[in-house]
Amino acid sequence: MHDPAVLIVGAGPAGLAAAAELARRGINDILVIDRDDAAGGLPRFCAHPGFGIGYAPVPQKGPDFAARLVRAAEKKRIRILCSTTMTALEAGPTVTITGPETGYRTLRPRAVILATGVREANRGNRLVPGDRPEAGIMTTGLLQQMVARKVPFPAAIKSIVVVGTEHVSFSAIWTARHAGLNVRTMIDEKPRVGSFRAAGWLARAMGVDIRLRTRIAAIKAQDNRVSAVVIDGRRGTETIPCDGVVFTANWIPETAALTASPVEIDSETRGIAVGNAGRTNLAGVFAAGNVLHPIKASGSCAIQGRRVGAAVAVHFELNATA
Amino acid sequence: MTVHFDIAVIGAGVVGSAIARDLSRYDLKVVLLEANTDLGDESSKGNSALMTEGHDTPAGTLERDLVVRGYQRYMTEAPELGLPMRKTGAVMLAWTEEQRATVEKHVEQAHAEGFHNVHLLKGEEVAKRWPQFRPGVLCAQWMPDEVIADPFSTPYAYVLDAVTNGVAFLRPWRVSRAERNAKGWRLSSDSGEVLDASLVINAGGIRADIVEGLANYRDFTMRPRRGQYILLDKPARAIHDVIAYPTPTPTSRGILISPTIFGNVLVGPTAEEVEDRDDRGVTEEGLAALRKAIEDMVPTLRDMPVNTIYAGMRPATNHSEYQIIPRFDEHWLTVAGIRSTGFSGALGIAEYVVSLVFPKVFDLKPAKEVRGVRVPDLSETSVRPWADPDKIAADPAYSEMLCHCERITVGEVRDALNSPIPPGSIKALKRRTRAMFGRCQGFYCGARVQAMFDAAKVKRHA
Repeated sequence: MHDPAVLIVGAGPAGLAAAAELARRGINDILVIDRDDAAGGLPRFCAHPGFGIGYAPVPQKGPDFAARLVRAAEKKRIRILCSTTMTALEAGPTVTITGPETGYRTLRPRAVILATGVREANRGNRLVPGDRPEAGIMTTGLLQQMVARKVPFPAAIKSIVVVGTEHVSFSAIWTARHAGLNVRTMIDEKPRVGSFRAAGWLARAMGVDIRLRTRIAAIKAQDNRVSAVVIDGRRGTETIPCDGVVFTANWIPETAALTASPVEIDSETRGIAVGNAGRTNLAGVFAAGNVLHPIKASGSCAIQGRRVGAAVAVHFELNATA
Repeated sequence: MTVHFDIAVIGAGVVGSAIARDLSRYDLKVVLLEANTDLGDESSKGNSALMTEGHDTPAGTLERDLVVRGYQRYMTEAPELGLPMRKTGAVMLAWTEEQRATVEKHVEQAHAEGFHNVHLLKGEEVAKRWPQFRPGVLCAQWMPDEVIADPFSTPYAYVLDAVTNGVAFLRPWRVSRAERNAKGWRLSSDSGEVLDASLVINAGGIRADIVEGLANYRDFTMRPRRGQYILLDKPARAIHDVIAYPTPTPTSRGILISPTIFGNVLVGPTAEEVEDRDDRGVTEEGLAALRKAIEDMVPTLRDMPVNTIYAGMRPATNHSEYQIIPRFDEHWLTVAGIRSTGFSGALGIAEYVVSLVFPKVFDLKPAKEVRGVRVPDLSETSVRPWADPDKIAADPAYSEMLCHCERITVGEVRDALNSPIPPGSIKALKRRTRAMFGRCQGFYCGARVQAMFDAAKVKRHA
C-alpha cells in the first residue's frame, strides 16, 4: 500500500466534500478512511429531511444526503476504506491506522484532513445521578443507530423522556416515533427551545410535554430497566414514569485519537484548534466539520469540507511551484 | 433422579469462583451455582480493583491472614491465567499534623507486623515524585508493592479454570430452598430445578444471609455498604498514575484516587450504609463527596472529563471479621462477611476453605491433572490486538475496531461471545471485553455490540 497524497480521516459530510473538491481540482491520489462499517457519517442514521442545506441542490433526508456524498466520491474514483481507524497522528504528518484491509500500518501522506465529527455527552459525562439499569439509557446517536441497524431494543421500551430541545432532540423524537416509541416529555435547562420555535410547536401538537428551565435530577430503575426520571423545574421536583431516557445534544468533538498527538485542541470548543482555511498547528494537517465547533448542520460541514479541500489543493500547488 | 454433587458452591462472585477453582483440583463432583445471569455480577463488579498486600487490614484477624495469603497467591497465579497487573504502588497522604502522626504510626506498625517494603516519605520527596498532589503534603506512607488488577477478568478466569477442570457452572440458578436429607442437602432453585449436595459452601456474598436463612442459620445480619465511584477519562492517567488515599480516620478509610488497569483513573468509594442491598444508585451527595476528594487530593483532575459514574455494594455484616463458619456435621460451610477485601483475599480464602474441607470432610489429595487456562489480557499497557501485526495477520477481525473509545475489535468481542462461559448480559460483555466502557458509553458502537450479542445468543440457542 502506497502513501496517498491526501489522507482524509472520516467519511462524513466534511470529509467526503473535501475529497470531492480535491478530486475536482485534479488531486486524485486520495484515501478516505472511516472507522465505521459504512461511509456517510452520522446523517446516515437520521431518516428525516433537513440535510445538506446550502450544499446539495435541495435539502434531503439524512441517509439520502450521505448516499449523495458517497456516490460523488465514488464517481471520482476516490478510495474509501471503512472499518479503518486512525490510532495516532504525529508530525510529518505520520499517521498510524489499523483496519482489516490495511492491517496495522503507518502512512506518510503529504496532507491529512481530520473530519472526525462529534458525539453527544452521555449520562456519565453529565454526572446525572440515580440507578444504572442495563437498558433504556441512550443518546440520540445510539437510539438512531439501533433503529437504522434494526437492532431490537433490549427491553420492552415504550415511552421515553428526551433531555434537550436542540435540532437533534427533535431528530431523536422523529426516530423514536418511527420506532413506535411514545415520547412523553422533553426537558431542557434553558428558558426556551434550542431548535426552531416551530419544532417546539409541532412537538407539542404531537402531545409532547416540553418542560423548560428544568433539569434531570436522577434516573430511577426497576428490574434492570428505566422506570422513571426525576426532574427538577419550575413546578418543583416531579417523578415522570418512563421506560427510557435519551440524552441529546451537548456535543463533544471526537478527538479521541489525538489525545497523545501534538495536534492542538481548542480549550474553549474542545475541538481541534484551527487557523486559516482549516490549518492546524501541525504542518500539512487540516481539519474540517464538526470536529472543530460543535455543532453545525450537515450542509455547513460539507461546505466547510469543500473549502478545506480547496485549501489543501492550493497548498499542493504552492509546494509544487516552490 | 436428582443429580448428586459432592460439593455445591453457592455464589459465583470472586470468592465463590476462587473456591470452585481450588476444589476442581480434587476428584469430586462440584457445582457452582450463580443466581444472576453472569458471574461476578454483584459485589465483585463494583470495587476499587486493588490487589492489596494486607497491611491495612486489622492485625491478628483471619481477614489479615487470608488477604496476605491471597495477595501472595495472586502474584504467582494471576500471570499463569493471563491476568494483568501493574505494581503502581500506593501512597497514604498527610496534610495536617494530626494526619502526620497517624501516618508515622501506621508505618511503624507495618514494620512491626513484618511489612518491610513500607516507607515513610517526607513532604518534599512526595512533592517531587508526584507533583499532582495538592501542595502542603507533610509526609506519606509509601507502599510500592500495592497493585492494580483486572476486577472483571479475575472471577471470569477462576470460573473458566474451574469449568475447564470439571466443575459444573449453573446460571441463573437462584437457591430458593435448602432441605436436609440423608446425604446432605437438597437445593431447589426459584425456577424449579433440584440438586443434592453432600456439602454446601455458602459464598452468597451480598445475599449470603438469605441463603443462611434457608438453612435456618442466623449468625450474622448483612450491613450492605454502598460505595460510589467516578471514572475519569484516559488523559487523567498522564496526570495521576499511583494509588493515593488520604490518611484514614477512625470512622472512614477515605476516598482513593487510583489508576485502573484499563488506563483510566478511578475516584472512590464513598461508604454509606444502605437499607436496600440492591440500591446501587448514585446520589448528588455521593458525587459531591467524590468531587471534593479530587479537589482535596489532585486538584488538576478537576476538569477531566468523566466517562461514567457507578456504585458498588460491599457485603459487610454486623461483624468486622470474616464469617467463615464450618458446620461439617451439618454438611454446611459459610463463607460470608468478606466486606471490602474479597478481591485481594479470594485466593487466600479459597486455600483456607480447602484446608478446612480436606481431609476432614473428604479424605482426598489433589489428584487430577490440571488443564491450564488463559484469559485475554485487557490491560491498557499490554500490546492491544489492534496494534499486534501477528495477531492481525492471523485474523483480520482483530484490526476492525468496534468500540472506538477503548479500541476493542470485532475479533475480541466475537471471542468473548464464543467463550465456553459466554457473557449473560450486555453489561457482562462489557466486563469481558471493555467494549462500551469508554468516554462515549456506546454512542458509536452500542448498536453494533448489541447486534453481535443478540446474534450470538440466537446461535447458541439454535
